[in-house]
Amino acid sequence: MTWHVSDDLREGYLGGGLDPALAMSVETHLARCAACRAAVPYEPEWLEESWRRLEARLVAPRPGPAERLLARCGVPAHLARLLMATPTLSRAWLAAVGAALAFAVLAARVDPAFVPAFLVAAPVLPPAGIALAYGPRVDPAYELLAATPLAGARLLLTRAAAVLSTAVVLAGAASPLLPAPPWLCAAWLLPSLAVTLACLALSRLVRVPLAALAVTGLWLAVAGAAGFAGDWVSAFAPAAQIGYAAAAAVLLLRLRAARTRGETDTG
Amino acid sequence: MIRIKDLTKTYGRRAALDGLTLTLGVGVTGLLGPNGAGKTTLLRCLATTLAPDGGRIDAYGLDPSHPVQRTALRRRLGYLPQDPGFYPHFTAFDLVDYVAVLKELTDARQRHAEVRRVLAEVGLTDRAGTKVRRLSGGMRQRLALAQALLGDPDLLILDEPTVGLDPEQRMSFRALVSRLGESRTVVLSTHQTEDVAALCERVVVLRQGGVVFDGTPGALAAVAEGRVWLSDAAPEVSTLFWRTADGRYRTLGEPPPAANPAAPGVEDGYLMLLGEAA
Repeated sequence: MTWHVSDDLREGYLGGGLDPALAMSVETHLARCAACRAAVPYEPEWLEESWRRLEARLVAPRPGPAERLLARCGVPAHLARLLMATPTLSRAWLAAVGAALAFAVLAARVDPAFVPAFLVAAPVLPPAGIALAYGPRVDPAYELLAATPLAGARLLLTRAAAVLSTAVVLAGAASPLLPAPPWLCAAWLLPSLAVTLACLALSRLVRVPLAALAVTGLWLAVAGAAGFAGDWVSAFAPAAQIGYAAAAAVLLLRLRAARTRGETDTG
Repeated sequence: MIRIKDLTKTYGRRAALDGLTLTLGVGVTGLLGPNGAGKTTLLRCLATTLAPDGGRIDAYGLDPSHPVQRTALRRRLGYLPQDPGFYPHFTAFDLVDYVAVLKELTDARQRHAEVRRVLAEVGLTDRAGTKVRRLSGGMRQRLALAQALLGDPDLLILDEPTVGLDPEQRMSFRALVSRLGESRTVVLSTHQTEDVAALCERVVVLRQGGVVFDGTPGALAAVAEGRVWLSDAAPEVSTLFWRTADGRYRTLGEPPPAANPAAPGVEDGYLMLLGEAA
């Protein structure tokens, strides 16, 4: 070190009158020279506050791409943060769902007889995702989170909404590629909603995987019965759609009522 | 004040809690007991993560069997489970921040300040940006303790909190818990009688789902008063003895030949109380 900050230089620096290059040079020296640093007056409170802000900047979490995307879509930051730990929003799950849908679309395009396979499979995706979204066997931090106020049904509902949205977006992107009329391409939507809500309602009585299994079985039985009767389209016909919509509405009202009562735990 | 009355919990045919009755107030209470005595089951019931089969818990006037009151109680407690799991791809800060969101701290600025506070409490400030999978076992344990401290809870439930901590970390932990216990209820389970002697003003010994001792660590040590002996030769009849670091034999029970009486410790009292089951 060949020089120290002179009195004139220090006055100029403190007065803000130095040109930027010289000010930077002084700051670099101050960072290394305790003697010169000691000669610079400062307010302890200001310094402490500055360190606090700096620390806050340095250790604050940096949202990942998915979290930033959710924030841009209007999802509150804390909610976006909650969704980031959903096991069924992992890349592996999304890749599996994408591959299953792509395979179903491909099969339908090769042979239109496979169109029902897509329509029957799409409503199964949300309950399957919900079963893998929250619970002691699928969430590694389950026990750590279970004693928090938002654990239980509220966390499950949040994650279920994310799983349903993701499944709907993926299936919605794939369904226009089906070799079928537009109304039939979208006929999986209401069954998906009804099956998802049924899964959530049932999860208040039994464990989530069991609820998912039960409603999936029921849906497959409904679709299968139509298929065995030789008219699989009837499971997606307007009359059936009204039934799914009505069931979804009733289940939604029941879930809202349970939430109002403050029932926080799942079965 | 927390009142536990006639609590029962059964797994298959085995009763983990068998009509357990206990009252907990401000201060640090240590739960001791052999494996399967019901310590973790009791703490999980208190933490509202497990519903008992029978009996009742009244914590600050709240009944955890009632959904709304259970949520209200969760707002007042911090819980360190026996085997806390983590999201390995989260950083230490992210993980505690995530729990803070679940504890309804929605304002990001306040939440982040609280996360920094609890990380500083457990000495993990410089590891805030480290992924959980890169933390050592002791650091993970401190991280789990940090999330339990979020929101300055009235009731702190710690299930085997000193597992994985080195002696220095254990000392820091004892200092922290002692300070916390001055103004709130801290209940912890442990197999370490030294922890109980060092930081608990009250110790409860469980066996087969029930309370077999409830008193001060000094009173537990006094259970072995006049029953602890030091001798140069190994005893021939007693089954409760071990060789100490200075080469002598410490015996509990009847004195071996040419033995000198020794001052009992918490571990001696505990072993006398439970005999071979401990």
